[in-house]
Amino acid sequence: MSFLNKFITVGALLALAACNDPSQLGGGAGGSGSAGGGIGAAGSVSDPTSVAYFQQAVGDRVLFAVDQSTITPQGQTTLDAQANWLIRNGDYTAVIEGHADEKGTREYNLALGARRANAVREYLVSRGVSGTRLRTVTYGKERPIEICSEESCYARNRRAVTVLAGGLTG
Amino acid sequence: MQTGTKISGIAHLGLIAIAIFGGAFRSEPLPFEVREVSVISSEEYAALSNPSRPPEIAEQPTAPSEPEPAEPVAETPTPVARPERDPVPPEPEPVPEPDAPEPALPPEDAATPDVDRVAPEPVPTPPQDARPDVVEQTEVAPEEGADIPQEAQQATAPEQATDRIVTEAVETAPIRSPRPPRTRPTAPTPTPVAQAEPTSEPEPEPAPDRSTAVDAALAEALAGPAAEPDAPVGPPLSAGEKEALRVAVSQCWNVDVGGRSSQVVVTVGMSLDQSGKVVGNSVRLIDSQGGNDQSVQTAYQAARRAILRCQKDGYDLPAEKYAQWRDIEMTFNPERMRIK
Amino acid sequence: MKKILASLLLGATLFSSPLAAQDGPLRIEITEGVIEPLPFAVPGFVPESPAAASQAEQLTRVIAADLTGTGLFREITADAHIGQITDFSAPIQYADWKAINAQALITGSVGVSGNRVTVRFRVWDVFSGAELGSGLQFVGSTDGWRRMAHKVADQVYSRITGEGGYFDSRVVFVSETGPKDDRRKRLAIMDYDGANVQYLTDSSSIVLAPRFSPRGDKVLYTSYESGFPHIHVLDVGNVQQRVLEQSEGTMSFAPRFAPDGQTVVYSLEQGGNTDLYTLDLASGNRTRLTNAPSIETAPSYSPDGAQIVFESDRSGNQQLYVMPARGGEARRISFGQGRYGTPVWSPRGDMIAFTKQNNGRFHIGVMRVDGSEERLLTASFLDEGPTWAPNGRVLMFARETQGAAGRSSLYSVDISGRNLRPVRTPDGGSDPSWSPLQQ
Repeated sequence: MSFLNKFITVGALLALAACNDPSQLGGGAGGSGSAGGGIGAAGSVSDPTSVAYFQQAVGDRVLFAVDQSTITPQGQTTLDAQANWLIRNGDYTAVIEGHADEKGTREYNLALGARRANAVREYLVSRGVSGTRLRTVTYGKERPIEICSEESCYARNRRAVTVLAGGLTG
Repeated sequence: MQTGTKISGIAHLGLIAIAIFGGAFRSEPLPFEVREVSVISSEEYAALSNPSRPPEIAEQPTAPSEPEPAEPVAETPTPVARPERDPVPPEPEPVPEPDAPEPALPPEDAATPDVDRVAPEPVPTPPQDARPDVVEQTEVAPEEGADIPQEAQQATAPEQATDRIVTEAVETAPIRSPRPPRTRPTAPTPTPVAQAEPTSEPEPEPAPDRSTAVDAALAEALAGPAAEPDAPVGPPLSAGEKEALRVAVSQCWNVDVGGRSSQVVVTVGMSLDQSGKVVGNSVRLIDSQGGNDQSVQTAYQAARRAILRCQKDGYDLPAEKYAQWRDIEMTFNPERMRIK
Repeated sequence: MKKILASLLLGATLFSSPLAAQDGPLRIEITEGVIEPLPFAVPGFVPESPAAASQAEQLTRVIAADLTGTGLFREITADAHIGQITDFSAPIQYADWKAINAQALITGSVGVSGNRVTVRFRVWDVFSGAELGSGLQFVGSTDGWRRMAHKVADQVYSRITGEGGYFDSRVVFVSETGPKDDRRKRLAIMDYDGANVQYLTDSSSIVLAPRFSPRGDKVLYTSYESGFPHIHVLDVGNVQQRVLEQSEGTMSFAPRFAPDGQTVVYSLEQGGNTDLYTLDLASGNRTRLTNAPSIETAPSYSPDGAQIVFESDRSGNQQLYVMPARGGEARRISFGQGRYGTPVWSPRGDMIAFTKQNNGRFHIGVMRVDGSEERLLTASFLDEGPTWAPNGRVLMFARETQGAAGRSSLYSVDISGRNLRPVRTPDGGSDPSWSPLQQ
C-alpha cells in the first residue's frame, strides 16, 4: 500500500515538475488538492512525520457519493489513519476542505461542501483528535481538481481534503 | 373696420397657408412641446466614464443636473416642399409581414446548448405553441435573413398584389397571393377628399387611396352621406366571410406574449367605408378586461396597429353587404397566445 | 339607428327576411395573432451642428441596438428608408414609413455644446399617424452619451411595450479567467449591454455572487479573503469594501439586501449546518430565521419585503420555500420533477425565477409565487443563477459549457423564453446581478 503510494507519488511529482500543471496529476493519490493555505508536499514521503507522508501514505482525502456527506467505509479507513497520524503528530492543525462537483448550484454546493468537511471533522474528533485542531472550509464547486465533465472526474471532485496547516504554536 | 377686415384676411390667409403647408398637424398637437428633462450631469458622466482601472469606479450618478432652459424648438413647421423623391404609388402598403421569418431558436434550446446559434442579432424567436395555423401555413414566404435588402425592395417596388383573403376560402390559408389586385365591384373610393379637407392628411402627395389617416370629419363626409343612401345591406356575412376578416386582422396582430399587455382583452370599435378601409379616426377602445391602464393602452395600440396595417387597400368584404360590416367591434383576446 | 333601420328594411325587401339583417355592429373575436419583432425605423438623429454628427450617429446606433436586443423589435435599416429626417421639427411623412412597413418611427436630434450634449426625440406610431407620448429632451455630458442613448431607448421601449425600461442599468458579475481548475475570479461591473466593464476587485481571493443593493450603490458578495467564505460589502462609488459578517468558526455566503437596503439576509454555516439569518446593518444585530439540520440558502426577498423565498433540502433534495421575512413557517412552492435552487423574486412581485436540475440538465425557469405555472426558459449542460432586469421582463444568468475547456458566460432571455442571447463580456462571466434602473 504505502509502497504503491510512494510509487505513484514519485510519478506524480515528476509529472508536476514536467508540466507544472496540477490538473495533469490525474488525481491519484498524488497532488495536494489543496486550494487554501496548507503547507504543500513538505518533507519526504519516507518520513512518517512529514506532511508528504500524511498526504500520500496516509491519504489526505475522502470521496463522497453524489449529494451525500456520509463517510463511506473506505473513507472511514482513511480517516482512521488520519486520526492516528494527527494524534501522533500533535503539532499540526488541519483545515478540512469540503468540495462538490460542478453539477450543482453555487450556494447549495457551498453548503454541501461544508457538510462534507464537517462530516470528516466530526469523524476525526470521534477518533480522538481534538476539535480545536480542526477547522473546516467549504469551496463548493470552486476548486475542482479534475476538469472533465464526466462522473470519473466528478467522483474525485466530491471530496474532503485534510490540509495540514502548520504547527499548533505556529 | 377696415383694419379688422385686413387682420381677419391676413389671419385667414395664414390659416389657409398653415392648412396647406403645415397640413401635417392633424390631431397631433405636434407643435413641439419638448418636455425638458435633464437626466445626467456632466460631472456624473465624467465620473461614470472614468478610465476602467480596477479600483477606479466612477461615482454613481445621482443628482439630475440643472434643467436647461427649454429651448423653443424651431417652430416653423417647414412647408413640406419636399420633392416627391419616390413617387410612391398610391398603394404604399408593402407586404405586411404577418408571417415574418422565424429563425429557429426554440425557447429552450432543448437538445444541445448550441451557443453559436444564439445569434448576437435580434433573433425573432419562433412562436412555438400558440402559432395560429393560418399563419403557419403562410410561412412559405422565405424572407429569412433578408430584412435589409428586402425592405428596400418593398420600399421601392410596393407590391401591387394585395394579400386579401378570398372571401369564402376559409379553409385556405391566407396566402400572400401574387394575384393581381382585384378591382372592387363597388365602392368607388372618393379620391378628391384629401384635398378637399386641408386639415386632414399630412400627405404631401394627394394620396387618394391612403385612408388610414383620414380624420373623423372626413370620415363622416365620406362614409356617412355617401353610404347611407345606397348602402347595400345584403344578408349577414357568412361564416367564411367573417373568418376571412378575422384571419386578415390576425395576420397583423402582433402579440407580445411576455408582456403584461398579453393579459388584457380589448374590444376595439371601428367603421369601414365601402371599400373596406377603416374610416379616419374611427378606431377606438370600447372595452377591456384585465391589466392596468398602461397595459390596456398597450394592448389597444397593438390592436389598432393590426387593424390599420392589415387593411391595405381595404378589407376584402362583400360590397353587397356593406351595411353588415360598416361598423365592427373586434375583440382581441390573447389568451391562447399567452405563454402558459 | 337610422342606418340599422334602413338596413333592416333593405334586408327585408331584398330577402324577405328581416332576421337576416345584422343587429348592431359586426362582432369579431381575434384569438390568434403573430409573435414577431415589431419593425421600427430610427433614422439617424439629426445633428444640430457638424460637431454633433458623430455623437448623433453613435447615439442612434445604441438606441437601435437596445431595441433590437430585446427581441421585440426589428430595425429597418437606413438603406431601406424612403424618407429622410433632416429636420427634427418637420412634419412626419407617414407614407414614407408605412411604405417600408415601419410600425414605429423614432426621430431625434442631437446638439453638442462644449461637453454638453442635448438629445431630443419623438416616437411615432406610423400606421395610426400619431405620436406615442410626447417629445422629450435629455441633457448630459458628452462622455455619458451611452447612458443618454439608453434613456431614450428606455422611453421608446416603454411607450410601445407598456413595460418599464431596463436599458439604463448595470450588471455586477464575476469575471472569470483561466481553466476550470485554476479559475481566477474578480468582481466586475458593466452596463447592461456589456459596455464599460470595470473591475471592482482583484483575483487574489475567490469572490462569489455579488448582489446589488436596492439603490445600486452597494454590492454584497462572498469573498475568501480570510481563507474562509465571508460576506463583504462594497461601495460601488469608491470601491471601498469591508467584511460584513465574519463570526469565528463560521462561514457565510449567499447574501442579499432586503428592499429597504437596511437588512441583509444570508446563509451562515456552523458545524456543517447552513441556516438563514438576517443582519441589521444599522445595529449589527443578527437574527436567525431558520433552525433546521437541513441546508437553507439562496434567500431572496419579495419586493415588498414581507416574504423570503429560499431553497432548502429539508424534504430530501433542493426545493423552493417561501416564509415570512422574519422567519416562521415555510411553505414549499416547487413540486415538479427535479431539484430547484437559486430562487429570485421578480421586481414586479409576480414571479420567481430559479435554477432547475432535472435529468442531468440545468434550466432557468420562472413560476408564480405560489409555485404554479412553472415554465422553463432555457436548457443546457449548466445554466444557473438568474437575475431579473429592473422591469421584471428579462433574466440574465450564467451558462457554463461542458468539458475540460468549459467556460462560463452570461446570457439573457426574455421571460417568454424567447430571445436567448449572449451578453458580451471581455472574459468569462458568472453570478450576474442586475441593478435597478439608474436615476
